[in-house]
Amino acid sequence: MIEQKTYHEIVLDAAKEVFETMIFMEIEPSDQASIDESALSMLGTITFNGDIEGCMAISLSWPCGQTIARNMLAMESNAEVSRQEVCDAVGEVANMVMGSIKSRLQDIYSNIAVSIPTVVTGRELNSTLGEDAEKVAVPVCLNEEFTAVFLLLYRRK
Amino acid sequence: MPKSLMIVDDSATMRKIIMRTVRMSGLEFDRTEEAGNGAEAIEKLKASPVDIVLCDINMPEMPGTEMVKQARQLPNCQNTKIIMVSTESAQDLINSVLASGANGYITKPFTPEKFQEQLAPFMS
Repeated sequence: MIEQKTYHEIVLDAAKEVFETMIFMEIEPSDQASIDESALSMLGTITFNGDIEGCMAISLSWPCGQTIARNMLAMESNAEVSRQEVCDAVGEVANMVMGSIKSRLQDIYSNIAVSIPTVVTGRELNSTLGEDAEKVAVPVCLNEEFTAVFLLLYRRK
Repeated sequence: MPKSLMIVDDSATMRKIIMRTVRMSGLEFDRTEEAGNGAEAIEKLKASPVDIVLCDINMPEMPGTEMVKQARQLPNCQNTKIIMVSTESAQDLINSVLASGANGYITKPFTPEKFQEQLAPFMS
């Protein structure tokens, strides 16, 4: 069995790999456990099933999503980026972070199937999926400018 | 020698990201095509084959694994090099995809160096 502390490390390492390789943003653990839900924000979610089931989500502000999209598309910092591009980019972040988590869990859980990511935008967003599941929250600071929170909700079968 | 490339991914944004990364790798193509899923890719390949295909695996309508099998049935795609691009990193899956006719496999997150390493041997 993996301890929650270890899941925390796995999620953080997976997020670091993705952000440092493809998004070119510095990522550090943060003490701030949530983002401002009254502002326009985003929630990228991807579910998984198999030896372990649950979902992984990334919660972030709209401006943070815009910066991620611009960096992934190699656009100037003030360039216009469409809503679709921002949602696609955040969905792809969720997809890649979950892929990296899956890879890191492969030795313990060899059978994990991952869904296609979904992204929603709005205010007062929070994930209540799996209230009875184990929950790991990993708040991070991106480029010393934005806060984002990775959530891993899981239940062993 | 002029080369042509097709990028197959259900996300238009990811297709742009892959194209940007291919350019950053220093590789140049005289013609590039895009497709949003395996079925669209097969139709485009029937009409006009390309030298190299970069293809996602998890896509609606027709996943990349099925696209590889169908592309290998096309007479004009026997020499097309197909490289899969996916977050899936299980060795069993990679072996299975390579056995079904893919020529290479790039895992996400990727770097320009990974594209250079996988594609350069097919550029000469």
